[in-house]
Amino acid sequence: MNDKLYRFLLTAAALAVPIVCGGVVYALVTDAYAAFEHFGFLKFLTSSEWSYTEGAEQYGALPFITGTLMTTALALLFCIPFSLPVALFVGEYFKGTKVASVLATVTDLLAGIPSIIYGLWGFYTLRPLIMALNISPQGSGILTASLVLAIMIIPYAASLSAEFIKMVPNDLKEGAYSLGATRAEVIRRVVFPVAGSGIFSSYILAIGRALGETMTVTMLIGNTNNIPESITSTGNSMASIIANQFGEADGLRLSSLIAIGLVLFLITAIINLIGKVMIKRARIA
Amino acid sequence: MKKIFSTVMTLVLALAMVSCGGASKDGGRKAQELSGAGATFPLPFYNVVFEHFAEVNGDVVAYGGIGSGGGVRNLRDKIVDFAGSDAFLTDKEMAEMDAVIHVPTCMGAVVLAYNLDGVNSLNLSGELIADIFAGEVKMWNDERIAALNPGVTLPAEAIIPVFRSDGSGTTFVFTDYLTKVSPMWKEKFGAGKSVNFPVGQAAKGNPGVAGVVKQTKNAIGYVGSEYAFAQKIPYATLQNQRGELVEPTAASISAAASGTIPADTRCSITNADAAGAYPISTFTWMIIYKEQHYADRSKAQAMATLDLLKYILSDEAQHITSEVHYAPLPAKAKELSMANLKAVTYDGVEILN
Amino acid sequence: MKVRTKHRLIKDKALLWGVCFFAALTAVPLIAILGEVLLRGYDQLSWSFFTEPTPTAYKAMKAIEAGEPIPGGIANGIIGTMIMLGMAVVVAVPVGILCGAYLAENSKRRFAQTVSYLTDLLQGTPSVIIGIITYIWVVVPMKGYSAIAGSVALCIMMLPLIIRSTEETLKILPASLKEAGLALGGNSARVMLRVQLPAAFGGIFTGVLLAISRVIGETAPLMFTALGCSFIRWSIDKPISAVPLLIWEFFNDPNLQELIWGASLFLLLFVLSLNLLSKYLAKKWNQ
Repeated sequence: MNDKLYRFLLTAAALAVPIVCGGVVYALVTDAYAAFEHFGFLKFLTSSEWSYTEGAEQYGALPFITGTLMTTALALLFCIPFSLPVALFVGEYFKGTKVASVLATVTDLLAGIPSIIYGLWGFYTLRPLIMALNISPQGSGILTASLVLAIMIIPYAASLSAEFIKMVPNDLKEGAYSLGATRAEVIRRVVFPVAGSGIFSSYILAIGRALGETMTVTMLIGNTNNIPESITSTGNSMASIIANQFGEADGLRLSSLIAIGLVLFLITAIINLIGKVMIKRARIA
Repeated sequence: MKKIFSTVMTLVLALAMVSCGGASKDGGRKAQELSGAGATFPLPFYNVVFEHFAEVNGDVVAYGGIGSGGGVRNLRDKIVDFAGSDAFLTDKEMAEMDAVIHVPTCMGAVVLAYNLDGVNSLNLSGELIADIFAGEVKMWNDERIAALNPGVTLPAEAIIPVFRSDGSGTTFVFTDYLTKVSPMWKEKFGAGKSVNFPVGQAAKGNPGVAGVVKQTKNAIGYVGSEYAFAQKIPYATLQNQRGELVEPTAASISAAASGTIPADTRCSITNADAAGAYPISTFTWMIIYKEQHYADRSKAQAMATLDLLKYILSDEAQHITSEVHYAPLPAKAKELSMANLKAVTYDGVEILN
Repeated sequence: MKVRTKHRLIKDKALLWGVCFFAALTAVPLIAILGEVLLRGYDQLSWSFFTEPTPTAYKAMKAIEAGEPIPGGIANGIIGTMIMLGMAVVVAVPVGILCGAYLAENSKRRFAQTVSYLTDLLQGTPSVIIGIITYIWVVVPMKGYSAIAGSVALCIMMLPLIIRSTEETLKILPASLKEAGLALGGNSARVMLRVQLPAAFGGIFTGVLLAISRVIGETAPLMFTALGCSFIRWSIDKPISAVPLLIWEFFNDPNLQELIWGASLFLLLFVLSLNLLSKYLAKKWNQ
């Protein structure tokens, strides 16, 4: 093959990514524009009314932003007590052993399960449990969605954290051991401080996953358009309102949904960017 | 690698070619594939009718039960041959698109399906339903429910209303009824394909609501009657405008349509003032464009669309309604629809003449 | 002092057991999900399950009323998934590999670094947004939902995954390999095609497998692009079904719920075996 042609093909393929990304932003912005223009950018974000009454349409993203933030925050909270032990198990206690690789495979498989199947499981197993325990009468809601979401993001947080925990230099740890520190103390005083920023960034990336998760949340959150009053209330996330209504909306409502999509895109993009930059720094350090 | 690539490519091409075939049929025009989308409420009826229609005419109909809201949007985007809707288009909606024709296809009832341990019959009035879905009557053992149900032990549990997450003609029919019977509902929520219910939880499509009611103790939801029947979910007997307690049957649905029907068949028959009328009854419509030449549609496709509608209006198809717990159209509605279909054109020329 | 030491040792033990306990708990959801899908799904699988399309709501209702198992299967979904996946792979694999090669070769360039960031951005974009975008790009101009639109969505989602795995595999190849190739008189194109890519084949191949397993279960983007179809269809310009779309339909229709676990089992087994296969291959080829 001709070297020039080769370079051209490579560059052309590399151009595909910026073109797609630029197209995403361009399409979202142009199609969301009508909603922002009609309601005003800030008012769209802070209005809690989502009403389709003909002639008096009012669309505001606040209930869905709240729903997304609540599910994401709770999912993160529920995920830490599991993902951190997994990371320590794989990256420190049983580093390089067979058990560790089994556990790593388990979390990998968890990451592989399609979100619609998580949703099914949540609906048919977890939801009846929540009803039986009298936590919430209708079973669906922010809490139920967050619990399943937490399971879904464990692998993302755990595998990356484990990687950073593994990278903690042995001589640092040995130094601490030689001073008579126990393993627990080494983890607290050496591993966490050294791997801390890496672990932190892996949770940032897990947040990025949780923010945009669609089907699981749609199947479990209860799909109501009000600001959730408590964690057992029903609600909608930004992704789930889009999944629910995109197929039938038109005009101002379609534009408003795309506007919500744009906001979600920007939030996840920023979160991911922060996460990736932090990871790069943590790797170099 | 290269080999795999070329194999896949050949496959894709082969598939594309297979799909382009199409059998011709006796009537002179080729068998068509029609596509429609919309209401889930009449879906079981449409399933049977389309199957019979395919046997009789050779034309295949693909219908997506995506909700009336989605169906109307697809028609407006001109990507379907017809939309199915349980809500007729408002004047404003009609003004925003090219001229359309509403063809009623059958009548049905929206029932209030419930899931209550140990309760096998439940009476409700319109006002009570409005208060339940507005979150004002919160408990099953509320004295107003008890007053309508003497002798029934109602549990001291919170009521969980279940409603639609998608834009739905069923929601329109239901809220249209509530608007007529409850001034509070009219003022706070109104009628529409999507309404912001303040309490409870939502599910997608008529079957979705039926599924959630079935899965959730102490739930109550509004669904097309066939879905409650098929899933064996109990449903409430309703008090109609004359104070009678009425079950949804073909007779009580038909009784609701005994009033006058306008020429374009766009009318609501909820809360009908007629003896024995089931109060949440409705027509369900197929909506087509009056001018059938749009978005590269062929004349054969337009003719097939009209053939389908004529078939649905025929006695043969109307007879099927009772089999799936819907009610046949009144003679007047069929008459008006046939007249309306005659006005349908292709390139400005009436097709049926 | 002794008491303190004891205290410290207890703490140390407690952490070890705590870590083991909570780490082991993580396996519970996996086992629970696999178990539920297996137990409820395996007797739904039969020959007709893979060869027949989904029944209409009416047929399912009749069967349920008569107390019979509902007829039909998920053939329309399997075929739709294969068609869309096939088209997505045909585009995403070559573009992804070339782009990955570019990033590996020019990692110092500013443009490559931008592309690299954008690849991350694309990878992190929620799938529902890919659905919206494809709707705007493909469904609206084509005036209708189609298998093509669905495959575009899947393709966009696969692209960053393939780019990353290609780039990473090429980067860890020993530099001597490329130098030897160049020394033998090949230009960079020949070296890439004849030396580097074949050497990196294992890594790239497992990357592609993983990318497929990631997108095959995607539902949200297909809802806005492929829409779904109740019969077996081979055309690429019409709405088409997919296995995850069918699961979503079954979820929303209690009459069809008998099929839901079989369909989930099929999807789950497919995805997890792709996952395990790629893990196995990666290990084998790395040695």
